[in-house]
Amino acid sequence: MQFKHITCPQCGLLCDDLDVSVDDQDVTLNSNSSPVCQQFFVDARLTAKSALQPQIKGKPCTLDEAVAYAAKLHAASKQSVISGLIADVQACRSAFALAEKTHSVIDHANGQSMRASTAVMQRYGEVRTTLAEARNRADCIILFGAAILEKFPRLRSRILQPKETLSGDTERKIIVVDVVENTDLANDEDIDFFHLPLASLEIAIQQLQYLASPCASTETDIDPSIRLIHQHILASNYSVLTWTATLFAKNTAEQTLQNLTFFIKETMKTKRCVGLPLSGSRGEITANQVSTWQTGFPLPVAFSSGAPEHNPVIYDAETMLKNSEADLLTWISTYSSDDTPKQYANANIVIGHPNMKCDQTVDVFFPVGIPGIDQRGLACRTDAVATLPLHSIRKNDLPSADHVLNLIFQAL
Amino acid sequence: MAIKLVGAQIYDPMHQIDGKKMDIGIDQEKICDADSLTPDCESIDISDCFVMAGAIDLHTHIGGGKVNIARTMMIEDHQAHSHHGDHQCRSGSGHAVPSTFTAGYRYAEMGYTAGFEPAVLPVNARQAHMEMADTPMIDKGGYVLLGNDDFLLQMMRDGASQSAINDYVAWVLNASQCIGIKVVNAGGVHAFKFNQRRLDVDEVSTASGVTPRQIVNVLSRAVYELGVTHPLHVHASNLGVPGNFETTIATMGAAEGVPIHLTHIQFHSYGTEGDMKFSSAACEIAEAINKNKNVTADVGQIMFGQTVTTSGDTMMQYYGHEHGSPKKWTVMDIECEMGCGVVPFRYRDKSFVNALQWSIGLEIFLQVNDPWRVFLTTDHPNGAPFTSYPHLIKLLMNRSFRNDHLSNLHPEAQRMSNLSSMDREYSLYEIAIMTRSAPAKILGLADQGHLAIGATANITVYRKQDDIEKMFAQPAYVFKNGTLIVKDGKIVETVRGVTHVVKPEYDKSIEKSLGTYFDKFQTISLDNFKISNDEMEECIGSRVVEHPCTKP
Repeated sequence: MQFKHITCPQCGLLCDDLDVSVDDQDVTLNSNSSPVCQQFFVDARLTAKSALQPQIKGKPCTLDEAVAYAAKLHAASKQSVISGLIADVQACRSAFALAEKTHSVIDHANGQSMRASTAVMQRYGEVRTTLAEARNRADCIILFGAAILEKFPRLRSRILQPKETLSGDTERKIIVVDVVENTDLANDEDIDFFHLPLASLEIAIQQLQYLASPCASTETDIDPSIRLIHQHILASNYSVLTWTATLFAKNTAEQTLQNLTFFIKETMKTKRCVGLPLSGSRGEITANQVSTWQTGFPLPVAFSSGAPEHNPVIYDAETMLKNSEADLLTWISTYSSDDTPKQYANANIVIGHPNMKCDQTVDVFFPVGIPGIDQRGLACRTDAVATLPLHSIRKNDLPSADHVLNLIFQAL
Repeated sequence: MAIKLVGAQIYDPMHQIDGKKMDIGIDQEKICDADSLTPDCESIDISDCFVMAGAIDLHTHIGGGKVNIARTMMIEDHQAHSHHGDHQCRSGSGHAVPSTFTAGYRYAEMGYTAGFEPAVLPVNARQAHMEMADTPMIDKGGYVLLGNDDFLLQMMRDGASQSAINDYVAWVLNASQCIGIKVVNAGGVHAFKFNQRRLDVDEVSTASGVTPRQIVNVLSRAVYELGVTHPLHVHASNLGVPGNFETTIATMGAAEGVPIHLTHIQFHSYGTEGDMKFSSAACEIAEAINKNKNVTADVGQIMFGQTVTTSGDTMMQYYGHEHGSPKKWTVMDIECEMGCGVVPFRYRDKSFVNALQWSIGLEIFLQVNDPWRVFLTTDHPNGAPFTSYPHLIKLLMNRSFRNDHLSNLHPEAQRMSNLSSMDREYSLYEIAIMTRSAPAKILGLADQGHLAIGATANITVYRKQDDIEKMFAQPAYVFKNGTLIVKDGKIVETVRGVTHVVKPEYDKSIEKSLGTYFDKFQTISLDNFKISNDEMEECIGSRVVEHPCTKP
């Protein structure tokens, strides 16, 4: 069977222009797409090694037995953590219902890299744009970190260098800023690569922010390339600053995002200048959106008291597990077989990709259908505006993560 | 089991029933002839109560990306107002811009059975519907945003026929599963992306080459010619700008006699009189509404206290962000369709401007003669959270209560206001019109907003008491589709509600040009852009109820 307009949830761009063929349990991406997309469809192939049946302590069992065991673990838990959340909207909705019923803490696998962006939004708000605006409107795009192009491989063809734009003008300045050399980009005719002699990207952003601040002085020691970039922004009609928070050091990411926000807001006084943060490669935008509308809070959320509480320090799932503050982990990961937990608890439930190889510490493993292959679903894109449909293109008996979570909920 | 409500005093303006004592029967989801019920039905004596249909909020921001941004930014509000769940209800948080479950419960507790999100971006429609699907207890619907989208502006620039524009409008309504069309600062949000900071109604946008008047004209005509019951829902240009009442009256004229709905009109009724160059133009606006029978409006009353403004109007949200409190703001350009801006606000009674805004809203309510053409809203959460409706009703129904409040406001605002001279007090019948019958009528919800046999059994029973605010805050009983969901102001049963939509017919060949547009410029394929009925039910989580379109 051939399918068109299939969505790939493997990165935050959620490209939905893919042609895919399905032959029984084999799926093949026919489009000339990115390695990241390719990997999603290769990983989705079910073989004799795939897990199609739940397991209790590594031994196959029925779904009912696995649900009963998982419910028993929840009933015995004093503090549980539900994490991963690498899943579609429906599974996230059910995960929140279970978290509330079990008074759990709920967080995303990428929780720590989301914190800085959330904190800046909470304290200052932001100026942002979306993929189609950047694609059509931008006359200057600045990327902080060459690795963005590797993490989001189709960003270049879909957004940075479209064949046509609404204005009819495809000429634009694309600047990649980095502090490490990149010979490919240095020799790329379409990109201005700025290799800065600075210790970090964060310092480059700090210097840029300084130039826009009302107290900026021409005497201050600012890298000449940063001054040039600033001039390009001021000479542009619609400049787009792009970053991904995972490229910034964890302990300074919040300050860096704050600097970017201050810079954009200051520049906005006279020019149009916007941010285009990129993330969502493990479904964190989806999970965070569901969290925000259902509980009123971004991730992480604790239901320990019954009412939702948000505290990014106390309820960081990874830290809680590391410090043995939780005795049960329910890990939900449906897009990639590699997305296994980094930290385990005493007892562990995994609701995962059927090709996932579980650690022996996993008490119950529920192999579930892959959203976008085995089940219909919905996923939120990096700009937190577009929600894309994930299609069901293969038939098998794998339950959805949503269904498994509901069964556990009902068994409690 | 069938239910008989015995001895009720009924307010059903759709059938000119003004306080008459009658029994009401409920059979399954519908209102039935009470006399036809057998003696073994459940009987509830409500002789000390009065009854209205379930209330309908036709303009409330309860779903979509901007609401989630507001929730994120209003962290203090959410921390201060979080609540537990119980065997019936889910937990949640937030007062100004509550989480979805919370919003549904609070609406139901006040006797509301439907709420309509007035700013659904086509590209964000799935999320808006998901949030509304997770808003229990009430029916929902959305108005999809047009008028700043590059596709329409290009059509207009190219001289497309009204018929082609109608096809596009109908296509968007179908694709986004909405019940109406909204335009926000027509052309202005688009112009802002090109750094234009203001756009008046007859000003040609340098970015699009068209005027807001032209946009309002073609969209209001499209909605009318397609037979969509709800008129074009218009957030006019120049929101919040002193002197903007002239723009508002000009915008009414842009419809050239076809139906048009001006939303949160309080924010568009400002003059420039006085030392502060800010004054009430409520009289001029009310007069214009009274005169132009094709015009309806909701007020967007402000109330004092902390809230957050969420709007598609990036241009004017950016203009107003310096007045925000606390000092944080977000603006966003969105997908060559629209934008959004989120700015927290604290309206203060000792502020001249805020006090006069409060007064202007009430002056409009009291000077528009026909309650069928003015609707009770706070533009939730922009003027105030929807939970302030009972207080607003009391302000409208009790002149001395109103004047007591006025006397505590900024003295210059009191001096500039005509409010104290207005004797009018709304009756229960008029409140029933503006919160039930008129919203149902203007939205085309034929089986809602009234209490006739065969209507959907959305019924609110209020226990009579002297304190009007308390009475409207805590109904004795609320029935949703025949199920008792609230008793004495408390949730006793949770229900989901449905999504109300219209699906006007259109020439399918519009998808050829749309397909080309999507392929060349958009980042989602046309096929994936459209939301089907089964996706609404299976993935988004809400059943669709389609309402007919009747072409003129």
